[in-house]
Amino acid sequence: MKNIIKTFALLLLFNACDEPITIDSDSVEPVVIIEGLVTDQMTSHYVRVSRSVDFYDDVAVEPVLDAQVSIRDDQGNLYSFDHNPWNNAEQQGYYYSDIEFAGQVGTTYSLTVTIGEEVYRASDRLQPIMAIDSLTVSLDEDEFDDPEDPGYYYEVLFFAREPQDRKDFYLFKFYRNDSILRDDEDDIYFSDDDLLAEEINGIPTAGYYSLGDQARVEMYSMSRQGFIYYNDLINLLQGDGGMFGAPPVNPRTNLDNDALGFFQVSAVVSEEIAIEF
Amino acid sequence: MKRFFLLAMILIPGLTLGQSKFTLNGYVKDASNGEELIGVTVYVHELKTGTATNVYGFYALSLPQGSYEITFSSVGYQPVRKSVELTRNMEFNVELPVQITEMDEIVVTGDALDANVTDIKMSRNEINVKQVKRLPALFGEPDIIKTIQMLPGVSSAGEGTSSFFVRGGSADQNLILIDEAPVYDPSHLFGLFSVFNADVIKESELYRGGIPSRFGGRLSSILEVRTKDGNNKKLEGSGGIGSLASRIMLEGPIRKEKSSFIVSARRSYVDLFLRAAGEENTVHFYDVNAKVNWKHNNNNRFFAAIYLGRDVFDFDDTFGFDWGNATATFRWNHLFNDRLFSNTSIIASNFDYAMELDDESQGFKWTSNIREVTLKEDLNYFVSPSVELNFGYHVSYRSFEPGVIEPNSDRSLFTRTELQNEFALDHAFYLENQHKISNKLTLLYGARLSIFQSIGESDIYLYEDPQDNVNIVRTDTLSFDNFENIKTFVNLEPRFSARYMLNPASSVKFSYNRMVQNTHLISAGTVPIPFNTWAPTSYYLEPQLADQIAVGYFRNFKDNAFEFSAEAYYKDINNVTDFADNAEIFFNEDLSTEYRQGDSWSYGLELMLQKKEGRFTGFTSYTWSRTERDIPDVNLNEPFLANYDRRHNFNIVGTYELNNKWTFGANFTYTTGRPFTLPSGKYQYEDYQVDLITERNASKLPDFHRLDLSATLIPQNKRGRKWQGSWVFSIYNAYSRKNAFTIYTQTPEDSNGEPIRNQKEARLIYLFPILPSVTYNVKF
Repeated sequence: MKNIIKTFALLLLFNACDEPITIDSDSVEPVVIIEGLVTDQMTSHYVRVSRSVDFYDDVAVEPVLDAQVSIRDDQGNLYSFDHNPWNNAEQQGYYYSDIEFAGQVGTTYSLTVTIGEEVYRASDRLQPIMAIDSLTVSLDEDEFDDPEDPGYYYEVLFFAREPQDRKDFYLFKFYRNDSILRDDEDDIYFSDDDLLAEEINGIPTAGYYSLGDQARVEMYSMSRQGFIYYNDLINLLQGDGGMFGAPPVNPRTNLDNDALGFFQVSAVVSEEIAIEF
Repeated sequence: MKRFFLLAMILIPGLTLGQSKFTLNGYVKDASNGEELIGVTVYVHELKTGTATNVYGFYALSLPQGSYEITFSSVGYQPVRKSVELTRNMEFNVELPVQITEMDEIVVTGDALDANVTDIKMSRNEINVKQVKRLPALFGEPDIIKTIQMLPGVSSAGEGTSSFFVRGGSADQNLILIDEAPVYDPSHLFGLFSVFNADVIKESELYRGGIPSRFGGRLSSILEVRTKDGNNKKLEGSGGIGSLASRIMLEGPIRKEKSSFIVSARRSYVDLFLRAAGEENTVHFYDVNAKVNWKHNNNNRFFAAIYLGRDVFDFDDTFGFDWGNATATFRWNHLFNDRLFSNTSIIASNFDYAMELDDESQGFKWTSNIREVTLKEDLNYFVSPSVELNFGYHVSYRSFEPGVIEPNSDRSLFTRTELQNEFALDHAFYLENQHKISNKLTLLYGARLSIFQSIGESDIYLYEDPQDNVNIVRTDTLSFDNFENIKTFVNLEPRFSARYMLNPASSVKFSYNRMVQNTHLISAGTVPIPFNTWAPTSYYLEPQLADQIAVGYFRNFKDNAFEFSAEAYYKDINNVTDFADNAEIFFNEDLSTEYRQGDSWSYGLELMLQKKEGRFTGFTSYTWSRTERDIPDVNLNEPFLANYDRRHNFNIVGTYELNNKWTFGANFTYTTGRPFTLPSGKYQYEDYQVDLITERNASKLPDFHRLDLSATLIPQNKRGRKWQGSWVFSIYNAYSRKNAFTIYTQTPEDSNGEPIRNQKEARLIYLFPILPSVTYNVKF
């Protein structure tokens, strides 16, 4: 919807009038935020627990340091999580599984987070993922003629075969030299397969690269619940305040007890390519 | 049906009277161009009674044999007094000369001088297009919708939009008609302008209550725009060049006094400059109106009118979208006998949009449309001077094609996907009687019977839980053939109005009406966009119902120079169509799981003072109102203020004629800011900064106020020159108030353009700072 506002602003043949404003944002009771990810990679998986803060606070969140976190799968395995096991200052509020494990396709994982008396639960099923056929590098002529960042005019194209016999939901993350790359800070790249044909013949990924860069594409499988979460999240991040689009509202989540955030279980594939001739 | 005719018998008290009476009837026209005049008072001095011409300029009076003095009068015209010797049924056509005043005054046409007080209609306003042309206009484009947004009981979502909200109704609850044909999206450029080209408008009126039975299909208002028929006496033209668009109009007789035509076109031309300047993103819109009418004889006249309009956006020749309305109206006015006037119309309307991306790997074309064909038979039966009966039958066939996405290259990642089409048949019978009980009391009572059928060809999906939009489980599919009835919805819509004269200069009025809406807009925002689709009442959508009562006090001052009205209303809507929180309303094959119908209620007080004659004309309006909604699954099932709720709304619209050369105009508007959902906190998910939302529409945008000024210059005409030019200078937002269009939030960036990941900022968008414009108009 913000795009409509942008298009609308483009219509106005003078400078789009857009300026910061201080809003009256009353303090409300903080809400528990849980972010968790279990993948099919052999690693120590994480769950982040925090509380919301006031709109104008200088911190992004208030980490919760004393939660009890565990994940159980439907095969009878129980995984315990420890808070910030490596004592990293940046990892306040992050809980890691005390052993490495790889999620299995078709298995349902259930998260339990206990903070004091309150218990928060969520579960998600690990969906299969298609393979990435290949990535290619292509020179974007428009960007070459008029680059936003000098030297950055290569784009990375994505090729794959979408399985037509099952329902899939995808989440993509793009990296340039290991830094996450988005066209806009609030972009999320995800899709269902409702409109997709089998052959995906080189769709451009986000952003532009320069010679010598290393590009990486990660593709995650998701449940429909996950697709809905990201869809709601992008609507909230990119909403227009309820003018042409709907009024902002919290995303639907698989967490109970009024917690926000999402517990995601995914299969992951990734592919890299160097930007060179 | 039996009951319907029974009702007809009860409603026609005058039918058995009037054996030795004769009928006097005819058309009243403007002497200068032959345009039929609506609402002209026809007054019989001997009987101290009279009637008024209908929307086709026709009147009929049933009088005992005798000789009468009859005066035909209308604001802006010289009254015409005629002597009539009525010894047989007579046809009596009259032409009224335009009032020649010292100055070229703006006058409202087509109304009796004291109609504000004496007419039974309430909650109704005419929009004076002549005045609109002299008011300040955004980019110099005069627009009746912008004036409508300033009427009492009407609000807007802010500037730069063509949506309007009437008495707590949403934007899709207005029936917008051009020559009787519905216009589904009245906006150009996402609402900066409306589709109504001021050059061709003859009359436009807005009903927000006391809605006559001949109208139905929307809950909150009727905006009826009628275009000019074309001058049947001489060829005339006009044109104009504004800051954004230019216009041309030509009208004249085909056979003098028998038939005439009018054609008009308007096109924006900024894209031509943009292209010349090498800009690759361009946009333009156009409108074409055309109409012909011919009078076969006094008993048979025919009209054919079309409207075509479109907006085209083109980005870099690879991505683009467009939308447009097309309407066509064919009308046959027929006099069955001296007292029975018939209007038969065949109407077609189409709205469509398309979006196309030209790209090898991800090219697609997305199209959608809504179409309807309507047959209307409307009859006016002039039973006696005190009884006028209106009745008729309307039937519409509608098709809704919500969307098809097709790949436009062999290698595109898209596969052809088509949403379920829907079809509907909409019948309405109505009967209404205007009954003058005494010189003081007039009643208008009637009803409209709406029979709506959702029909095939269509598949209806059955769901395990039809309201579960997360885990959608289809259990079965019901298939229906072409025209097979899926479900029928029958609703009776009673309508009642009363007017009681307190004294010759003041009256009280009351009205009650029930309205039914079977065409639902699929939009979760405040202002509809062209890409919103419509859906009919169907298996999963109930008809929306509105009940409204209004009372009003009406008074004219200083010999009808000033008109005052005060109205209070209460409106209650059942099954108002809304959508679940987080609803996916675009291209959703299971859209029905997102439908949430609930309640809406609104009440308010509206004051208006209007001056229609003299050097200074204009109006001021003040509205106090409150509108709430209660929708299941929305806002945690708690009631919330509607997006378009406005507590206070104050407007002044005026023009002043200084002399023959100069006219000045001004608009001022002040309204409470619209309800708004502001975040009550924030949190982080991955590295996204996310707003925490607690309650819908709990805050308000800043108050909105704006002053616009205009000056119209008509230079003295040189002798012998065949054309007359005029300049309109406008200043929009004279004191450059930064009025909030909307507020959004984002992650702020530091001076290097890098995101500041632990902060969040709110930003205000406002559309227009002070904005001067010039329009040059020419008449020839």
